[in-house]
Amino acid sequence: MELPLYQIDAFTNKLFAGNAAGVVPLKAPLPEAVMQAIALENNLPETAFFYPEGEGYRLRWFSPAVEINLCGHATVATAFVITEYLERGRLEMAFETKSGRLGVERKGDIFVLDFPARQIKPGNQPAVGAALGRKPVELVESYSWLAVYESWEDVATLQPDFEAMAKLDLFGVIATSPGRDGIDYVSRFFAPKAGINEDPATGSAQCVLMPYWAKRLGRNRLTSRQISSRVGDFDCELAGERVKIGGRAVCYMRGSISVA
Amino acid sequence: MELPLYRIDAFTDRMFGGNPAGVVPLRRWLPEATMQAIAAENNQAETAFFVPDGEGFRLRWFTPTVEADLCGHATLGTAFVISEFLEPGRNRMWFDTLSGRLDVQRAGDLFTLDLPLRPASPATNPAVGEALGAEPGELLASVSYLAVFDRWEDVAHLKPNLRAVAALPLDGVLVTAPGRDGVDFVARYFAPGAGIPEDPATGSSHCILMPYWAKRLGRNRLRARQISQRVGDFDCELTRDRVKIGGRAVCNMRGSIFVDG
Repeated sequence: MELPLYQIDAFTNKLFAGNAAGVVPLKAPLPEAVMQAIALENNLPETAFFYPEGEGYRLRWFSPAVEINLCGHATVATAFVITEYLERGRLEMAFETKSGRLGVERKGDIFVLDFPARQIKPGNQPAVGAALGRKPVELVESYSWLAVYESWEDVATLQPDFEAMAKLDLFGVIATSPGRDGIDYVSRFFAPKAGINEDPATGSAQCVLMPYWAKRLGRNRLTSRQISSRVGDFDCELAGERVKIGGRAVCYMRGSISVA
Repeated sequence: MELPLYRIDAFTDRMFGGNPAGVVPLRRWLPEATMQAIAAENNQAETAFFVPDGEGFRLRWFTPTVEADLCGHATLGTAFVISEFLEPGRNRMWFDTLSGRLDVQRAGDLFTLDLPLRPASPATNPAVGEALGAEPGELLASVSYLAVFDRWEDVAHLKPNLRAVAALPLDGVLVTAPGRDGVDFVARYFAPGAGIPEDPATGSSHCILMPYWAKRLGRNRLRARQISQRVGDFDCELTRDRVKIGGRAVCNMRGSIFVDG
């Protein structure tokens, strides 16, 4: 059996930047073991599989090792493939996923994800700063730790101890600081516990970052940059309990895979 | 610019087995930074790039982070792409590489690489057994350590401390044991220092394994299996000063990549 395969760089408008996702459009569901084998073979952070269901689509994400509950960049990549190649001109779509229904809207070349905002509260865990190798000026607790620094350089030069970080209790660690030159804040995201030492561009981290920065800066629309080696760019809006995460995408590869 | 990209599973005849390689046929070389960026984006163990040169080809291999100086599975992947898609019917080709000229012959569905020997000599380093979490019956060293165990299961069940393996002085650690059921020997290969915790199917490790097993078993033609999760299969022959490593391949993906420039 031959299936189409796309490789899309999401949360960027530049090739080889952002976060790479495989996208496999299907007519009907595939056995889970086959999707997992394809995701392992692709060896990208995530491969998305989707097929039509009702007015929208059923969407699932696989890392090389396991099925994932929520993945922003592979959702942007899927919306890109649909609106660019499969249903040109379509501007709105909804995906049924393990995390419920996710809406995506295309505005020009920007894809806007509608995700739930995460609860945040002050945190106290000295091991977080120790694992990051630099004490943050403020620590916030959410589904991941949010370590706040004073300067872009403080975040850019972090060299975490991933073994120590993997022992922390929450999912991962987001490091952030104010931005400059039209960027409101910068961040990096580490999740060694999930097998990802550093993620290049993380949509879902904005669900923690936006409630913090919107309050601190007194504005609900913010531009953010993930300063990983590949660099991710986000146009975000906090709307009540929701975070709208906007990003661009570019196509690196179009092809077809053979599945025995 | 649009370029073809193939993904070939090498050293296997089963989809999703063996070792995947990216293969990019070129008319002339791309800038090195572009080839490196493509290899990083593909995120396969190696991506091969090749250009025609007279009757043969020039071939280079890139891991996601650096250029590699020898790579068996991506050479097999390249030979498969040439003889299957670009010049169907061609059964002989050679590649000029960072490791000199490499010949490949195709017979039926079997591709045979002709590689230099890298015989191992007896070695002593207690840190190898400690890093592997099991004491080998015999330890030798070439460009990598060769740790010999008594049984297939000893090799299959190893859970090395990869950090300790990375701290060892050589390229990596090969572990091996006698095979059974038509397989003469089994092996696994750990090279965390080069960014490869465990390689799924390694052609070049047979440059070390074949001199050892041919002498021990008293035969020059041996069948080997790499018992990684994906499993690699090798038909090997030791000649006077070379090793012929035969393997099969399947095409997993064909596509086009879109690169600036």
